[in-house]
Amino acid sequence: MKHTIPEQSAVVPELETRGMHLATGQLKTFFPILQKGVMVPATVGCTLKSLLCDQLAIPTDYVTDRITTIFVNNRPVDDLEGTIIQDGSRVTLSAAMPGLVGATMRRGGYYAALRQGISHIVERGAATSQRGTIRLKLFNLLLAEIGPLILAHGLILEQDELIELLELSPVRAARPAAGSGRVLLTVICNE
Amino acid sequence: MDKIARIDMGAAGGPKVTVGDLGEYAGLGGRAMTSLVVAAEVHPLAHPLGAENKLVISPGMLSGTTGSMTGRLSVGCKSPLTGTIKESNAGGQAAQVLARLGYAAVILEGKPVGDDLYKIIINKDGIQVIVDNSLKLMDNYPLVEKLRGEYGDKVAYMTIGSAGERKLLAASIACTDPELRPTRHCGRGGVGAVMGAKRVKAIIIDDAGMKMRPPKDPEKYRDANRKFVEGLRKHPVTGEGLPAYGTNVLTNVLNEAGGYPTYNFKDGQFPGSAKLSGEAQAQLEIDRGGTATHGCHRGCVIQCSGIYNDKDGHYLTKQPEYETVWSHGGHCGIDDLDTVAMLDFLDDNIGVDTIEMGVTIGVAMDAGVIEFGDKAGAIRLVEEVQQGTPLGRILGSGAAITGKVFGVERVPVVKDQALPAYDPRAVQGIGVTYATTTQGADHTAGYAIATNILKVGGDVDPLKTEGQIELSRNLQIATAAIDSTGMCLFIAFAIMDQPETFQALLDMLGSFHGITMTGDDVVALGKKVLSAERDFNTRAGFTKHHDRLPRFFYNEPVAPHNQTFMMKDEELDEVFNW
Repeated sequence: MKHTIPEQSAVVPELETRGMHLATGQLKTFFPILQKGVMVPATVGCTLKSLLCDQLAIPTDYVTDRITTIFVNNRPVDDLEGTIIQDGSRVTLSAAMPGLVGATMRRGGYYAALRQGISHIVERGAATSQRGTIRLKLFNLLLAEIGPLILAHGLILEQDELIELLELSPVRAARPAAGSGRVLLTVICNE
Repeated sequence: MDKIARIDMGAAGGPKVTVGDLGEYAGLGGRAMTSLVVAAEVHPLAHPLGAENKLVISPGMLSGTTGSMTGRLSVGCKSPLTGTIKESNAGGQAAQVLARLGYAAVILEGKPVGDDLYKIIINKDGIQVIVDNSLKLMDNYPLVEKLRGEYGDKVAYMTIGSAGERKLLAASIACTDPELRPTRHCGRGGVGAVMGAKRVKAIIIDDAGMKMRPPKDPEKYRDANRKFVEGLRKHPVTGEGLPAYGTNVLTNVLNEAGGYPTYNFKDGQFPGSAKLSGEAQAQLEIDRGGTATHGCHRGCVIQCSGIYNDKDGHYLTKQPEYETVWSHGGHCGIDDLDTVAMLDFLDDNIGVDTIEMGVTIGVAMDAGVIEFGDKAGAIRLVEEVQQGTPLGRILGSGAAITGKVFGVERVPVVKDQALPAYDPRAVQGIGVTYATTTQGADHTAGYAIATNILKVGGDVDPLKTEGQIELSRNLQIATAAIDSTGMCLFIAFAIMDQPETFQALLDMLGSFHGITMTGDDVVALGKKVLSAERDFNTRAGFTKHHDRLPRFFYNEPVAPHNQTFMMKDEELDEVFNW
């Protein structure tokens, strides 16, 4: 089956799509790549909050209360609404972290001054909405909690990455033939 | 805790024990006790390894009670590593047991003539100091195993390994955990060398026949402790993140922030960080039959530690902390958890500070002694320390000495103590604390993230530049206070976010001692401790010019943010103006 990511995409070419079903207990197979970062198709030019809530379907109160540490392009973010996601943005999500520096990285936290100079700076101005990709990382508690949402949304993997992943995992899917090019992998977690 | 024991190791005719009342030190514990004793009684120009120095061992104000998280033990002296006053603390069982025996402090004084090695036995009948030369040059694991054969499993042990006996400047004092493993170390500042200089190899603390310390108001204390525990359990950091992953959960986040010092502070990100992460470590521990959730002392509800087994499922070491994984991992260009765990075991066994040792190996790598990323080489270097070779003695004396011996320009130390795992060019505010703390570079000197609720220094605007100075000042005050209670610093997360949990802590302190405590009282205690420490350092010859980071932090931008440390000297000089 071929899947085409919408017409206006100048960034994401036509991709082969693969589907997979996964028992919840097998989810940890994906933790290493989610932790290292995966390419995810997205409509970019939107706010960070829109990306998380509207596109990745993460509940708003979860984003507000649980995802307390966010980086965009290695910069800690304080303002979900003022941060615009661009094509190729690197977005990293984490739960609350220990330590002074953990508290310092917290979104809008009391100790944010301690990281002055690396904080994400809000840029005002109109953004153009278009199809593209982001690089998404999940850390710690979020791996198990919202990993299924990300997997259901779909990951773009190199064929070799997919083969390597499937060889490590007990998941039910046909092994693709080795080759170059990318695939869109969609994974549904079953109870 | 109504008495202080003084053990004069240099007394004529052999060590002499004197037990007295608390006097001017009444009501103190932990860091407040160690720092106020050292400031008042140790000559500031004393040689740290000489008879004039004192080693003060003190449980916290709530240690030995039924209260949760009350098991930190403080050790203080003039540091042989930094030349400043020093307080170094650890978990393990020692604080609880010593407190139940009624000692607010045990102070080792003087220095014996001759080569005899001593062990000290503290129990309900008193204190004995006994020559035991059979313990000479034993390292901590076999040492504790031998002592267990004699004193059993229902005691706590404080020991030094071969590094302490050799008086190496990175030497630590080990405290045994509930399984009687020597895994909890008063690591920083060379306190183990001071114990070695006193010729004390082991302290055996036996609380048989003693009961929990009784609170003045038992009902209120029990209720406050219950609320305190509830607060810790419901908070996402203390109730979920730390128990699941331990402190090493920070590896991924610091690396993402570009604040993860790599290749001896040449870069802010490490390509192999995911292999070292807390997430990977916890999974490996579980897969090998260890555990990622374990307490370092009885009464801990956070359980941020773990058990790290080798490939065959046998115990190798306790779960290495974030700072250890960093210092032996990314800092040295090593991305292998098994290597890091082996180095952690060796450090604990020899009895050296894991931060100082790891940073030192990175400096040695920068000097070309071995290559960055050389796993076997790193293990070999720590074994040199164990063997006491000339190279091992240099390395065991820390990063500053090693840098000088090998002519390295980039040596990450303040007051000769190695920087921990957070690059101050990325996180400028922590650089303020590194530079100005009384202890030499130390991330835990400004760690008690409860200043907002304590209202230390009033409200701070976190968006203003001067906020960094004020925040560092306030953090150092709050930390000095919490270090005096014997509470684990990790309680600060729940305190910061949950006013009712902070109130429960105040109620624990108040109901135990029969007083009413407020946030102002906590702040006053913190200021008193810091003032005494600053005064000691001034008399020891330290000036504002020592409150600086090494110049390379000002001159060498670090990727990915390409920043240097930008705080002005005049701003740093304002930290202690209160």
